[in-house]
Amino acid sequence: MTLQQALAALALCIPLAVEARQEFVLTLKDHLFNPAQLAVPAGQKIKIRLINLDAAPEEFESFPLNREKVVLGNSEAILYLGPLAAGEYPFFGDYHPDSAKGVLIVIPEAQWQQVQHVN
Amino acid sequence: MGFNQQLSALVLLMLSCNAMADGRVVDKVYHPYVQPLEREFEYRYLYQWQANHPDNNAMAQQFGYGFSVAGNMAISVNILAERIMPEDYRIAGYEAELRWMLTEQGQYSWDWGLLFELERQKQTDSNEFTTGLLVEKEFEYTSLTVNALLVYEWGNTISAEWESEFRLQYRYRYLPALQPSVEIYSGENYKGAGPGFMGVYKFSPTRQLKWEAAMVFALDNDTIDRTFRFALKYEF
Repeated sequence: MTLQQALAALALCIPLAVEARQEFVLTLKDHLFNPAQLAVPAGQKIKIRLINLDAAPEEFESFPLNREKVVLGNSEAILYLGPLAAGEYPFFGDYHPDSAKGVLIVIPEAQWQQVQHVN
Repeated sequence: MGFNQQLSALVLLMLSCNAMADGRVVDKVYHPYVQPLEREFEYRYLYQWQANHPDNNAMAQQFGYGFSVAGNMAISVNILAERIMPEDYRIAGYEAELRWMLTEQGQYSWDWGLLFELERQKQTDSNEFTTGLLVEKEFEYTSLTVNALLVYEWGNTISAEWESEFRLQYRYRYLPALQPSVEIYSGENYKGAGPGFMGVYKFSPTRQLKWEAAMVFALDNDTIDRTFRFALKYEF
């Protein structure tokens, strides 16, 4: 197999599908996440718009979510997550870990539908 | 295509390619991610041994400094040293490297990045330009990282030629400090695989030390029996 064939085969086996994602907003002000508990649906790809209202940069970090993302002061970043299994995924701000703490609460799909219906 | 099929296809591709590269095939498996405000010192070590092999007792070291120049781009400069016998130990060359994160983590089904590397080997008066794809994908608690690299060599003492290298790391994110892995490498006269691990320790919110190591064993008769690699990265 030549290198070109190998790369072509590699490219073919890697889909690049772009899917619509539900967006959630997480803000950071005075080194506190808001909401500190963010509910999202299980089994779906989602994106979280992380808006840093502080002048200082912050790093969103979560080992369970396998994410590290630096967001500069007075700017925003996008986190692409999922599909996630139901459960709780703690996260924190790496530069201010004592105050910037939160939990991503991933709700089972059926329960999420009920919550959406009530809202 | 399921994960097992994708992983099997990648491994078969790596091992079936007539990959070629004269340099050090076993090296860091690059992740495709770059962070703004990234600054780091990095040390890499490699040692190979097999009785009666021409590269027996070969050792290479690399020390570098890197930083991000944009939210998705980082550069580093490195000094390379190597030896086979203790009296041969010398600064062998210099290297400049650019990593370019093409997609955000999780944005697509695989995360993509590019690597560009220019190396000057002063001892052999030769040069090497490396470029290639860095891709990674999460599978629940594991991550698969693949580097598919093209290498162009030229200089006064070697024939100009294109070569190729493949590196693969499949990692289990067990704990931040301990993430065991399997690594596979393919290049000219080299096909190897073996266990490894990586980890991270935070000294403070903005300072952390990352480590990784792997023991790579030959998969064919052309490959030197054993290669050990080790790297330390201080981020601040």
